[in-house]
Amino acid sequence: MNIFLQLVANGLMLGGLFAIISIGLTLIFGIVKVVNFAHGEFLMAGMYLTWIITVGLGLHPYVTVLAVAPFLFVLGAMTQRFLIQPLLLARDDHVQIFATVGLSTALINLALLIFGADIANTPASGLRAPVQIGPVRILEGQVYIFIAAVLLVIGLQLFLSRTQTGRAIRAVAQNRAAAQLMGINVDRIYVLSFGIGAACVGLAASLVAPLYPVSSTIGTYFVLTAFVVVVLGGLGSIVGAFVGAMIIGLIDSMAGFYIGSDLREAVVFGVFLVILILKPSGLFGTRVSLSHIS
Amino acid sequence: MLTIEGIDAGYGATTILQGVSLEVKAGEVVTIVGANGAGKSTTLRTIAGLITPTAGRISFEGQDITRTAAHEVVDLGITLIPEGRQLFPDMTVRENLLMGAYRKAARAAQAETLEEVLQLFPRVRERMNQQASSLSGGEQQMVAIARGMMARPKLLMFDEPSLGLAPIIVSQVFEVIGKIAATGTTVLIVEQNVFSTLKASDRGYVLENGEIALSGAAEALLRDDHVRQAYLGI
Amino acid sequence: MQRTETFAPPAARPVYLRPAALALATVLAALFLIPVVVGDAFIYHVFITICIFAGLSTAWNIVGGYAGQLSLGHAMFYGIGAYAGMILMNMGVSPWIGMFAGAAVAVVASVVISYPCFRLHGPFFALATIAFLEVFRVLALHFRDVTGGAMGMMIELKLGWEWMVFRERLPALVIAYGMMLVCLGVAWAIREHRLGYYLVATRERESAAKAAGVQTVRVRLLAVSASAALTAMMGTFHAMYLTFIEPAAVFSLTFSIQIAMFALIGGIGTIYGPLLGAVLLVPLTEIARGALGAQALGLHGFVYGVVLLLVVLFMPNGIMGALSRFTREKAAETPSQAGPVVSMPRAETRPPLGAEVMRVEGLQKHFGGLHVTNNVSFTLREGEILGLIGPNGAGKTTVFNMISGFMRPNGGTVSVLDRDGKMHQPVSPGDFAALGVGRTFQIVQPFASMTVEENIMVGAFYRHPHVNDAREVARETAHRMGLAPWLHAEARGLTIGGLKRLEVARVMAMQPRILLLDEVMAGINQTDVRRAIDLMLSIRDTGVSIIAIEHVMQAVMSLSDRVIVLSSGEIIAEGKPQDVVRDPQVIEAYLGKDFVHADH
Repeated sequence: MNIFLQLVANGLMLGGLFAIISIGLTLIFGIVKVVNFAHGEFLMAGMYLTWIITVGLGLHPYVTVLAVAPFLFVLGAMTQRFLIQPLLLARDDHVQIFATVGLSTALINLALLIFGADIANTPASGLRAPVQIGPVRILEGQVYIFIAAVLLVIGLQLFLSRTQTGRAIRAVAQNRAAAQLMGINVDRIYVLSFGIGAACVGLAASLVAPLYPVSSTIGTYFVLTAFVVVVLGGLGSIVGAFVGAMIIGLIDSMAGFYIGSDLREAVVFGVFLVILILKPSGLFGTRVSLSHIS
Repeated sequence: MLTIEGIDAGYGATTILQGVSLEVKAGEVVTIVGANGAGKSTTLRTIAGLITPTAGRISFEGQDITRTAAHEVVDLGITLIPEGRQLFPDMTVRENLLMGAYRKAARAAQAETLEEVLQLFPRVRERMNQQASSLSGGEQQMVAIARGMMARPKLLMFDEPSLGLAPIIVSQVFEVIGKIAATGTTVLIVEQNVFSTLKASDRGYVLENGEIALSGAAEALLRDDHVRQAYLGI
Repeated sequence: MQRTETFAPPAARPVYLRPAALALATVLAALFLIPVVVGDAFIYHVFITICIFAGLSTAWNIVGGYAGQLSLGHAMFYGIGAYAGMILMNMGVSPWIGMFAGAAVAVVASVVISYPCFRLHGPFFALATIAFLEVFRVLALHFRDVTGGAMGMMIELKLGWEWMVFRERLPALVIAYGMMLVCLGVAWAIREHRLGYYLVATRERESAAKAAGVQTVRVRLLAVSASAALTAMMGTFHAMYLTFIEPAAVFSLTFSIQIAMFALIGGIGTIYGPLLGAVLLVPLTEIARGALGAQALGLHGFVYGVVLLLVVLFMPNGIMGALSRFTREKAAETPSQAGPVVSMPRAETRPPLGAEVMRVEGLQKHFGGLHVTNNVSFTLREGEILGLIGPNGAGKTTVFNMISGFMRPNGGTVSVLDRDGKMHQPVSPGDFAALGVGRTFQIVQPFASMTVEENIMVGAFYRHPHVNDAREVARETAHRMGLAPWLHAEARGLTIGGLKRLEVARVMAMQPRILLLDEVMAGINQTDVRRAIDLMLSIRDTGVSIIAIEHVMQAVMSLSDRVIVLSSGEIIAEGKPQDVVRDPQVIEAYLGKDFVHADH
């Protein structure tokens, strides 16, 4: 029984981690309708920045979010403005996919050029210390990640439903042409949304860095799971991404114990393929069509 | 108020409008009629800035808006109520209406405008907290018109407001358009329902194959042999 | 059709003298001769690698380019081939046999994987292929008894042609070069035959392809199988060449992206683009690796990524696309005026109406609570023209979708008579096409990147599987439809009237027995309306039955033997055109109550 509870706790903590990484991805897809294959490299860039600042200035990793999130906001906004926006007119699948795939390839290798193949460890600042909660033990940093993920979901929901800009973002997501007819500058909303989505990854990067060593390929490692989470939850749904993350976290944790740790990923991707093929709109994405989105 | 001079426009490499010129004076109700595919919607979408013409000139209140972006056209006071309603499906009716008042000139007065608009649409008031996608077609059309009015436009353009509606709803829609025109708002309508629209208009243009084939006072057009034969089937 | 010949491109010169053919021959010759002449082991290695990647990328292009299914998991087929070859070799089976075993496994895997994924488009198809690739990688790591797990696998060193392993480089180059030629040959053969046209048509507009009788799933499975088999065979040879494989390198996402990238940079969907991409980019990697070693870690990848970004932004059709823009000849210059529809000589008397060819009973369709079609029943006889009219939104197109297989009714049946006089109840668009039902779409659905001729050929292939026959039929049809001057223009450049005629031409080329025309007169001018009416009457006189949705009343009145009026999804009137337009209910539905009161 204790083992089972521990597995559930591990699963939920892993879910928190997946959630905080995935929220930006689902946000960008929901609004700009672009699957950002470079999402993982945004995370990688954020983690390297966290590492540089903590090691260089001796700051607590969480403080770096003040620099990392704005940095990623700019990176995301620029990606939209200079890479995606010129391609939106083409509305051609392969061009859009290759654009972010190309960005991903360039960023991975740029990191390899700058930082080499070795991994970089951000100082843990005590965040890897285990805490005992009832019968289960988890890492302190994991708890903060979980809390941050919950707060981020709530914060984004409030922003999208209560503010004028947030409503404009939703309007653009739901009907781009009609939003234009309301006087909304759609291009600006897209740039803003891509920026916000990337800034969410910045937050994730600062929180994740103390727990995981960063390398040029760390993004690929996380982003595939993030895709699973986001498709499961319904692309574009923030709450869906959170729930999806919890489910995948639990599956990962259980499969690792009961099936074998080396087959965990196969199980997760198996679930992903079943969802993708049987219910491509995911758990919460009733309206998002997975075919060509106009 | 609105002057269009010899515009060519279309989608991608496909040209739909060829040398279209027309004019709308302040306070008028003007109709563009024509068969499906004649280019009526394209004309409105070009004015609204959703399509940039490849030739010609559009001006509004003396200002050149030929290349003005869609959201800036709205700021100038031109609102298009698009074909097929185009509501924000996952928003409530109230949120849809408030989006209508996104235009800077309308934002401050949105509470008063909302009250005025709801006077015209008592049915919409009952549906304020419902999701837009749960409404019937007729109700959605009413919300779409109400949302357009929320922008307090100087020129309100309707693209096929009767599309897919039962005859009884269609006459209600035209009643509402009449009331809007009575408030002094300038109206430009595109319709396939030639008779009802011309009845409600001051002037009309007949668009055929992307060109203006005929224009004149609405009553004269209703008596015109070509119009009667081609569009009224008599 | 003598006069259509004048519209053929100026291709009078023999094939081998055309600049493109010369360039290709030069590249191919250089690929083989340069390493042989230079004789340096490193140069050999670079050129062998070019051949391998050119072959892989060409094979990928059959799926990713022609069929437009953007696979980023192609390394799984490569890996299957590599492991099959390696495992069998270590059991004493020659890789020449092993590579066919690997190809067979890859074909099975590709079909099993692709079939459920075909409903996914664009990025989602790409994601699914990535996920499958990951599953393969994890499984290869897990089953270490078979694959050697993370430790990888070495070949037992057996030299000679039988084992595909050599001390010297020349034989490896011969094999790599030969396999590349095979890939190019297969890619060429597919593109130049019916399958290639069908693949591109399916990529451009799946629904229009289905209406033209293309079994879209089948042609895509064929493409995927061919691509997987070639990729696996390449994988077998590459494994022998490298003598060592491991899951991380073989089932690698980076590797998959690279394969696709060469095709994109060279020109996605073109026959020789992938070759060009590999020729230009592979040396870069290999030289960076050879000259700078570990210092340049990431350099070539970074350059790849940046090149990819630049190509996507400034040259989305790749090098081939950019080249063809410069070399494109007058064919692309489209005359600005619409060509006339040729008026057809007509028989003196029309044949009498024949037997019932289509029977529609009690069709129901609702979306959620909304009834779009309610209890619609009618029949159509051989050689009859039935007009279907009604206000916009009355449900006419929905009825069309149900009587051509594009939408399943919630209730009711559609029966169609076959050539042998038996009634069938077809289900899919393919079933309907097989029974001779052809349709057009109200919102035109051209295969935008294909020429007018190729568009019509897609229809013509239905009865004429050979390219030359289909082209002949397409030209003839184009001439009849007044499209002859644009035969070699891309469909995307036509006016709306031209696109409408293209739509009709494509379906006419199928030689249907029942023709469903959805507002084909909309947007064409008065003279052409009259010619189009003559054309339809002449089609009818050959025994074809027509159902036409039409708003142009002039056409409806003079064409139709019978008219059905739909309003809010129900038939409100049916009968001779003159009677129907006088029906008060019809007038009210169309023109509003006011009109009825005003004029009657």
